[in-house]
Amino acid sequence: MSIGHKIYIVTLVVIVVVVFVFLCLIGFSYYNVPLEERFFHESHNLLKPGGTLGHGLGIFGSLSMIFGMLLYMVRKRMRSLSRLGVLKHWLEFHIFLCTLGPVLVLFHTSFKFGGLVAVSFWSMVAVFLSGIIGRFIYIQIPRTIEGRELSLNEVRDMKTNIGLMLSESFKLDETSHNLIVESTKRKVELYQANFIAQYIKKFITDRKTIRSVRVVLKKNKLPHSDLRKVLKLVKHEISLNRRIEQLVTMQKLFKYWHVAHLPFALVMVIIMIIHVAVTIVLGYRWIF
Amino acid sequence: MRKAIAFGFYILISVAGSDVIAQISPGKLAAVHAHLEGISNCTKCHELGDKVTNAKCLDCHLELKSRIEQKRGYHASTEIRGKNCVNCHNDHHGVNFQILRFDKEKFNHDLTGFKLTGIHAKKECKECHKAEHFTDTKVKNKKFTYLGLSNACLGCHIDYHQKTMASACSNCHGFDAFKPALKFNHALTKYPLTGTHQSVPCVKCHEVTTKNGVKFQEFAGIGFQSCSNCHTDPHQNKFGQNCTECHVTESFHTVKGISNFDHSRTKFKLEDKHQNVSCKKCHKTSVTAPLKYARCLDCHADYHNNQFTKQGVVQDCSGCHNTKGFTLFSYTVEQHNSGNFKLEGAHLATPCFACHKKQEKWSFRSVGLHCVDCHKDIHETYIKKEIYPDASCENCHNPFRWNNITYDHSKTGFVLSGAHLKPTCRDCHFKKEADGREIQRFSSLTKGCIQCHSDIHFKQFESNGVTNCLKCHNDNLWKITNFDHNSTAFRLDGKHQHVACVKCHKPVTVEQNTFVLYKIKGTRCENCH
Repeated sequence: MSIGHKIYIVTLVVIVVVVFVFLCLIGFSYYNVPLEERFFHESHNLLKPGGTLGHGLGIFGSLSMIFGMLLYMVRKRMRSLSRLGVLKHWLEFHIFLCTLGPVLVLFHTSFKFGGLVAVSFWSMVAVFLSGIIGRFIYIQIPRTIEGRELSLNEVRDMKTNIGLMLSESFKLDETSHNLIVESTKRKVELYQANFIAQYIKKFITDRKTIRSVRVVLKKNKLPHSDLRKVLKLVKHEISLNRRIEQLVTMQKLFKYWHVAHLPFALVMVIIMIIHVAVTIVLGYRWIF
Repeated sequence: MRKAIAFGFYILISVAGSDVIAQISPGKLAAVHAHLEGISNCTKCHELGDKVTNAKCLDCHLELKSRIEQKRGYHASTEIRGKNCVNCHNDHHGVNFQILRFDKEKFNHDLTGFKLTGIHAKKECKECHKAEHFTDTKVKNKKFTYLGLSNACLGCHIDYHQKTMASACSNCHGFDAFKPALKFNHALTKYPLTGTHQSVPCVKCHEVTTKNGVKFQEFAGIGFQSCSNCHTDPHQNKFGQNCTECHVTESFHTVKGISNFDHSRTKFKLEDKHQNVSCKKCHKTSVTAPLKYARCLDCHADYHNNQFTKQGVVQDCSGCHNTKGFTLFSYTVEQHNSGNFKLEGAHLATPCFACHKKQEKWSFRSVGLHCVDCHKDIHETYIKKEIYPDASCENCHNPFRWNNITYDHSKTGFVLSGAHLKPTCRDCHFKKEADGREIQRFSSLTKGCIQCHSDIHFKQFESNGVTNCLKCHNDNLWKITNFDHNSTAFRLDGKHQHVACVKCHKPVTVEQNTFVLYKIKGTRCENCH
């Protein structure tokens, strides 16, 4: 990851965190007051959903989400824009806007979830959570730097001949060498249970494997730097194994995920529009 | 994409259902507005494009609208008028939200048009704002309202005076307590309080009674034209009904216009000397203080110092004295004579003080009934006690005339006869000495003539030391009737019978005493011839 990209990511994260913390701080007292008592709180006119700040949060939160959603959709779907920036960065910006947006909207609701607009809110929550899941699935599918999914064969080609590397670079006894090489091999026999159980079981097995490799490496009294290199290599291989094993499943899941992520977003937007429309019709125009 | 949109609507409808449309509301309405729940009711409060307007609120809250139009009450005050209702009375904050909630400490009740002062400021809201105090029938049946009260005191308070007083209670009563009525100024009534009336407890004139079955104190209709409306007339109308002619309100005992007071209307008419006596001489503390007057001693000191006490009771002065003057007494001789010592003779003319003021003080007791109690017994050492036992002068004297002696002189053995009956006692019994002093001679006086008479014969006829004149002289005319010359040694006969005595008895002078010599020494002729 380049430094520029790192700064970019850090900046986005900092913005979200700062906004969240700021809103928590100024609203802590108000949001802790029971609903029936909030009207009498000194910050009510500022922080109520229709308040000077609260209403603004709603407006900017909504705009943030709509903007983040549209930008990414347009960039991804319009061929003419396919060369505009790296898709991964657009995704990150999409995640940023669609994380900041719900945060703002969350504070706009003043933690009061009721009525029709609550459907919009919970849809937003669903979209947000599905986004996190999607992001997880997304990571599980190896891609090119442009974000194009790699095929199964392309992924398999990425595998390293770890046995050769070990015998060339490090002096290990034979038992240890074999154990490490064995640990980095795919274990097809595990693919029997359902996906989640299988994933968890695999995760636990992998952790045990890494731990046993670490024990073996320490037994061989490998220098610390070498130990880290070997462990990294083992972890990478195990990860690659997992990806290869789950690639097809993940690709399927990702397909289904799209079907879920987008409709929730749609529901959210539709009700949001109703909500905004009702608000405007009844004369609530924020500061205007 | 199409699938996604369809799925979205599916989720929308499945999650929200048909009720969703009714759930545009941002929150439940408060219980009092519960009847306004539902999408069809939004515009009952919300004005399209103009939030919630006051007009919408007042479309329902007509009683408030009416008051605002009449510029009455809190919402018509300058501080509140023009504000949005929702600034204070919001909604959509849940069923239990208090649309009407104010800080009792901060709420400015003055803006309601009824300033809370005194004890009103300490009362709980609900003590006044309760249905039984509502005078406005429109809000009578409301479960919760601060309207409906009247500014008039009687809106909440029971009319203690039962319509006998004006309804403006605050003219008299303060706001701290019903009693006392601090703002009441009796001076502004038809009967301003003066003098002691100012400190008399109200209840003394304004009686607490029962009217219509409840406790009631009379303030209206109290008679005050006459003092007797409240006061009992201790004089029993002797002085009329206009008490103020004499009395003032400062004190019953402070009397004005005393110079005009007609004392004769009292039971004690002022006469003679009493008329000139200062009131304070008798009425020492107050002219109205009850005063004993039946007896002189009720005012006067007993000059005689209980001398006239009979059987423990001091006799009243009026028995002897009258009001014309103390010294001008009315005690009569008859009264005196009815006593132990009758006044007779000279005693009748004797001034009282002669007997009764023998010393500095008058004395009417222990004066004594005997003469010597008043008179000096001048004979004390001169007359034998047997002659006048107990020094009783009456044995000789009488009260009519002192020198009218009634003593039977024969008791002395010296019977007065002849010329002895003529002289006064004094002539014999009082002898004036050469120096002018008179010497009494009673006991010391014998029967011998020369005790009184001069013996001009110079003891020529003394016999055994006694010269008895009566041998010759007559005690009547002093003539020599008892002498017979023939009984002497020289019998007169013949010529001698006619010879003048002096022819024979010639004066001689012996020791410078010249006298006629009757005891001639010789009876021989040549003694004469």
